[in-house]
Amino acid sequence: MKLSTYNFLTSMAIKGVKVGYPLKLTINKKDVVETEFNPTFVERLLPKLDWSAVYGAAQVAELADDIPAVQPENIAENELLLQKLHHLLFEVDVIEGQLECPETGRVFPIADGIPNMLLNEDEV
Amino acid sequence: MVPSMVFPALLAIIKSDCQVEASETPTRHLAVLNVGLSNGLSEEVLLEAAFATGGKVSRVEMCPGKSYCFLTCCTPQEAQLIFEGMHNIAHIGQDGAVAYMSYVKEVPIFEAGNQWNRSLPNGLVLLKDFVSEAEEADLLAAVASKEQTTDQEENSLKHRKVRHFGYEFLYGTNNVDPNRPLEHQPIPRACNILWSRLGDGKLSDNWDWSQPDQLTVNVYEPGHGIPPHVDTHSAFLDPILSLSLQSDVVMDFRRGQETISLLLPRRSLLIMSGEARYDWTHGIKPKHLDVVPTAEGNLTTQARSQRTSLTFRCLRQPSVCSCSFPQLCDTRQSSKPQSQDLSEQATSLEQQNVHEVYDKISQHFSETRHSPWPQVVQFLDSFEPHSTILDVGCGNGKYLNCNTQLVAFGCDRSQGLLEVGRARGFQIFRCDCLSLPVRSASMDGCLSIAVIHHLATPDRRLAALREMARVLRPGGRALVYVWAKDQRRNDKKSAYLRQNKAVNRQRTTEEEQRQKQQKEMDTHTLLPIHTNRTEFQQQDVLVPWKTKDDQSKTFLRYYHVFEEQELEQLVNQINTEVELIKSYYDQGNHCVIFKKL
Repeated sequence: MKLSTYNFLTSMAIKGVKVGYPLKLTINKKDVVETEFNPTFVERLLPKLDWSAVYGAAQVAELADDIPAVQPENIAENELLLQKLHHLLFEVDVIEGQLECPETGRVFPIADGIPNMLLNEDEV
Repeated sequence: MVPSMVFPALLAIIKSDCQVEASETPTRHLAVLNVGLSNGLSEEVLLEAAFATGGKVSRVEMCPGKSYCFLTCCTPQEAQLIFEGMHNIAHIGQDGAVAYMSYVKEVPIFEAGNQWNRSLPNGLVLLKDFVSEAEEADLLAAVASKEQTTDQEENSLKHRKVRHFGYEFLYGTNNVDPNRPLEHQPIPRACNILWSRLGDGKLSDNWDWSQPDQLTVNVYEPGHGIPPHVDTHSAFLDPILSLSLQSDVVMDFRRGQETISLLLPRRSLLIMSGEARYDWTHGIKPKHLDVVPTAEGNLTTQARSQRTSLTFRCLRQPSVCSCSFPQLCDTRQSSKPQSQDLSEQATSLEQQNVHEVYDKISQHFSETRHSPWPQVVQFLDSFEPHSTILDVGCGNGKYLNCNTQLVAFGCDRSQGLLEVGRARGFQIFRCDCLSLPVRSASMDGCLSIAVIHHLATPDRRLAALREMARVLRPGGRALVYVWAKDQRRNDKKSAYLRQNKAVNRQRTTEEEQRQKQQKEMDTHTLLPIHTNRTEFQQQDVLVPWKTKDDQSKTFLRYYHVFEEQELEQLVNQINTEVELIKSYYDQGNHCVIFKKL
């Protein structure tokens, strides 16, 4: 699971959960897969991302120094930051780990790179 | 003479194909080499050539797809006549190919078998000489076209002329309209002589009627025929009567793989009742010659001449059949399980007949899913670069890399399919389409290709659409494909039907395929089992999937195939914040695009 995917995932489908976001990420094993850097691509995606979850992911991925807690202005002109975001969102690949619902503590395992968000019938 | 290299090779072929050994001395059995069904030889032409020699044939084995066939005679002497008269003489194959003959020790029996020496289907009765020649002439005169006949009254179907009395039989629907009797064209009075003859015996005790109210007259010229069919169960009572006039013809009765041929002599009455009326199809091959048995048990050919048949039937009111032969029963086949019937089993049905099946067949399924459908690709290409797209039920992810300018995510229930997608480097996660673990209003586009037809109730199918609407950003669009019950559009078969090679080469009919499958499959299932590559008979069905590995196991997948407009109606129920912007039919699928406002 790339961390760009992580940014979209929520546990709000669980019965009784109000927001379910961001999920608490744990990384047990990760890979880094180099992909081509396209600054425009990252910049255009940013408005669709939740910055708090971008920042949270950076902390867990041990890239906290690269990403500020608050989204800076004029990010389009900051190619270095765009490059770091590209690395964080598209190159870090979580192989083993888990996602945890912030409200109920329900754990969604990540195995072989695939998050299992499937809920049991009695949870929805 | 026979090319010395060719002849041993031809003998070697029948030995390896059929374990048939040549005999040096004359026997009753002959192999006819170098000519056969595969190079244009018909049974009729073969028999004509054999009779020309003076020998009598008692059995013919035509071998499907082969360039040889076999004859059996009553005595070796008869066989010798045929051998000497045909060997390297009879040019009966395509482009004048000549027959080479060989005595053989025995003749193999093919599955089709001898369709003459079988007992008739239950309920089939043939009454010979049912009318006299004088009565035949009266009947023909009574049903002949009169001067005032208009084009509408006498229809020329593809292969025969048809007239109706009492009620018109409508070929479009294979039914009659009980509210529109043909008031000026009742069944001719001349036919009344027939009914008392039926009542005299005990024949009609079990029948639903004593006098018919509908008559269809068919006039067949030589070479005309009628495709195998069953008279619509719901339209007519039991039995169906058919009087043959003017000349003989051979009629074929079929049930599954069984075929029984019956010579209908001139002036005979055929009665199809019970099993024969409900569970067997009947038809006449379009030919100029019939192969017919002789009184001595031999086979001969007989040229056809004009034949008129009078089919007497009685309308069923109300038009609901309650027979115990479901296979060809239109009433039974069209009775759909109500949606609430499935609501209690919905989750277990989807679990067993969708999720578990896809997990087991994922590898093979994925191998068969590689070409993206053009109109889906077109939809993806309609988005601005950098748009976020979620493919709900992405399978192996074949749409996730169609457009690399997009940020595409995929989700699926099947772990097996997700692993294929993961190995290809796609962004995927596992979930159920009824509750997407995705932030609301975060996607520019959604795809759902061949997914929600696996959900067992209207509520669940609607819930899946609502989830897509929820995750779409305002202005975002979703494309949904579901399988259509109707696999034809403008009389064109969908790719799904076109791939039915057996039907398309007219080696069999869909009905026969269904019957065969019914026998093979365990029928103790909640839902009817669909026959692959045939038209859907019901909306809620189990569709077999045969794996291609050594074990060749069959799995049953649940589908709800959609009627016309059903998907649009579902979209209209999502809620007020979406708008249906396009709906279309694409290769056997109903498709919609809706937009979030």
